[in-house]
Amino acid sequence: MAILVDKNSKVLVQGITGGAGSFHAERMIAYGTNIVGGVTPGKGGQMVCDRPVFDTVEECIEKTGADVSVIFLPAHFVKEAAIEAIRAGIRFLVVIPEHIPIHDMLHVREEAVKHGTTVIGGNTAGIITPGEANLGIMPDIAFQPGRVGTVSRSGSITYYVADTLTRTGYGQTTCVGLGGDPVLGSTFAEILLKFEDDPKTKAVVMCGEIGGVYEEKATEAISKMKTPVLAMVGGVFAPPGKRMGHAGAIVEGKMGTAKEKLEMLASSGAHACKTFRDIPETLKKLGV
Amino acid sequence: MRLYEYEGKQLFSQAKIPVPEGRLAASPQEVFDCVAEMDQPVAVKSQVLTGGRGKAGGIRLADGANEARTEAEELFKLKIKGFPVERVLIEPKLAIKQEYYIGVTIDRANYKLVVIASGEGGVDIEETAAKTPEKIVRKAFSINEPLYMFDAMGIARKIGIPHPLLKDGAGIIVRLYNLFKKYDAKLVEINPLVLTAEDKLIAADSRVSLDDDAVFRHAELKELGIEKRHEEGEMTPREQQATEWGIPYLDLSGNIGMFPGGAGFGIMGNDFIHYYGGAPANFMDSGGGPSPERIAKMLVLLDENPNVKAIFGARFGGISRCDDFAKGVIMFLKDHGLSKPMVMRMTGNMWQEGVRLFEEAKAESPELFEHIEFHGIETEIEEISKRAVELASEGGR
Repeated sequence: MAILVDKNSKVLVQGITGGAGSFHAERMIAYGTNIVGGVTPGKGGQMVCDRPVFDTVEECIEKTGADVSVIFLPAHFVKEAAIEAIRAGIRFLVVIPEHIPIHDMLHVREEAVKHGTTVIGGNTAGIITPGEANLGIMPDIAFQPGRVGTVSRSGSITYYVADTLTRTGYGQTTCVGLGGDPVLGSTFAEILLKFEDDPKTKAVVMCGEIGGVYEEKATEAISKMKTPVLAMVGGVFAPPGKRMGHAGAIVEGKMGTAKEKLEMLASSGAHACKTFRDIPETLKKLGV
Repeated sequence: MRLYEYEGKQLFSQAKIPVPEGRLAASPQEVFDCVAEMDQPVAVKSQVLTGGRGKAGGIRLADGANEARTEAEELFKLKIKGFPVERVLIEPKLAIKQEYYIGVTIDRANYKLVVIASGEGGVDIEETAAKTPEKIVRKAFSINEPLYMFDAMGIARKIGIPHPLLKDGAGIIVRLYNLFKKYDAKLVEINPLVLTAEDKLIAADSRVSLDDDAVFRHAELKELGIEKRHEEGEMTPREQQATEWGIPYLDLSGNIGMFPGGAGFGIMGNDFIHYYGGAPANFMDSGGGPSPERIAKMLVLLDENPNVKAIFGARFGGISRCDDFAKGVIMFLKDHGLSKPMVMRMTGNMWQEGVRLFEEAKAESPELFEHIEFHGIETEIEEISKRAVELASEGGR
């Protein structure tokens, strides 16, 4: 078991004929991900990485049965590509590009909710169910099948957390990159509740960061969950009010500080961790 | 991207939201000339990309040209939250009967556009919202939903716009909402919307923030002279240099040069340094998939910073591949040279190729590498953080 993707997922890559699309398609295939084809409008009939390219998502689904899509396209094409995938019946959509216009993501979210599609990103490293499927840009070396789920705003933090879980023998069920853009396809709460429903996930590590609004929204989900949640929030020592890289990492008034986020998460029942080393120690105490 | 008040008012005016007839001036003499021509009491308003302007004395009233010049002389010497006043907007002074607040923004947590309005506009709107939330009207809309005239009439009525002007007020709300959508805004505010003694509604101030990531599709802004700008107030020379190179960079007060991959660990790595008793000299973000040239420039910024006693390098290659990272570090070592101790860890996508490149370069010129302690995935990042703190407290070699 895992959440959102596993070895049975039939994955298509939107933008497979592009540089990033073909490079990462090859990596994903090498990992064992079941990539069934790609979509680039106007390039139907070609083959990339030994997989057929189609002009539309609809045709790709017809011919391959794809149910999951990963988007590798320039940010300004994402809205249309995402809505195409959602309307064609894709169940789960991974939006890798960053700097997607905010209004575009609001449109994508509306469509996704209407059709019951789960979207992660933009600006996500993707999602990996170790040993089964790797969608996006995550480096294989950090991951190993196991019993802890992770969900994080940042790619690099996901890798460090997974690396820690791997070296301490816990491994991971699924690691989800929520994304770093200001408006995201999914919230922490939505992903946490999916982990709650996965019997193989014995604990979840969530990593937030300064700025944004999705950490605060997670508290209600955490207080309802039986699966223990460990929480880290980056930016405790960040100077307030300054812009720190990630488009999303702008302190939004009092709500957005790392310290307050961490306190809020802890008061809803999450176990706060300062460094990655605190994660295996906490898991041990919890008997995971 | 935050717009100046006068730019926001240009957009308002185009959208048929009434604004005072203003003029822009860049010196006390220009102020004098404008006011002499206008021949009426005026408000002289500093144009800066920050809030709190009124409380900082950035708005002055004057009855005539001489007085306006005197006030302007002071304004042009002002710095408001680090922003120097370079231009002022001169507008006829309004006779105010009532002030309202109208804003449109995004509720990111709920994925909605929200119209916020109040019958008590002015500088203390946030206080009003906190203390008397019942005086604030909020209405949420989906992005693909229009705001109808009846919606706006409802809002206008609730904030107490008097009856004969209800339709005018509602029209302003509809136009503001449409402007928000048209220009990919993150925030548009009229604060205050003034009911004048002549019973006219007029937008006395504007606050407009657009989405940087969507500016590319609004060529019409360029025609109005509205282009991307720096919005952070005063920068240090190094921040300025980094900005020119397109590298997100902030100077901090410590002595450990932070050379991270990705913004996520860029932010958390700074926390780690604090946890181990050190203090970072900077925040930096390489951005996704940086080129070797960019990596080299990041190191130049740190090596040339006299506050930096040691450098902490961390690369967990995802979209930023280790081979490109190694190429950048080697480029820096060859073209510039490293004068400070550096501890670094590199793993992730293409790490084997990265290590091979390092070994090749090291075999060729070992002296370039003498200040570098290199680690791979076998060493925990906590150990690297600790070591960086040690190196910095040794004060270099």
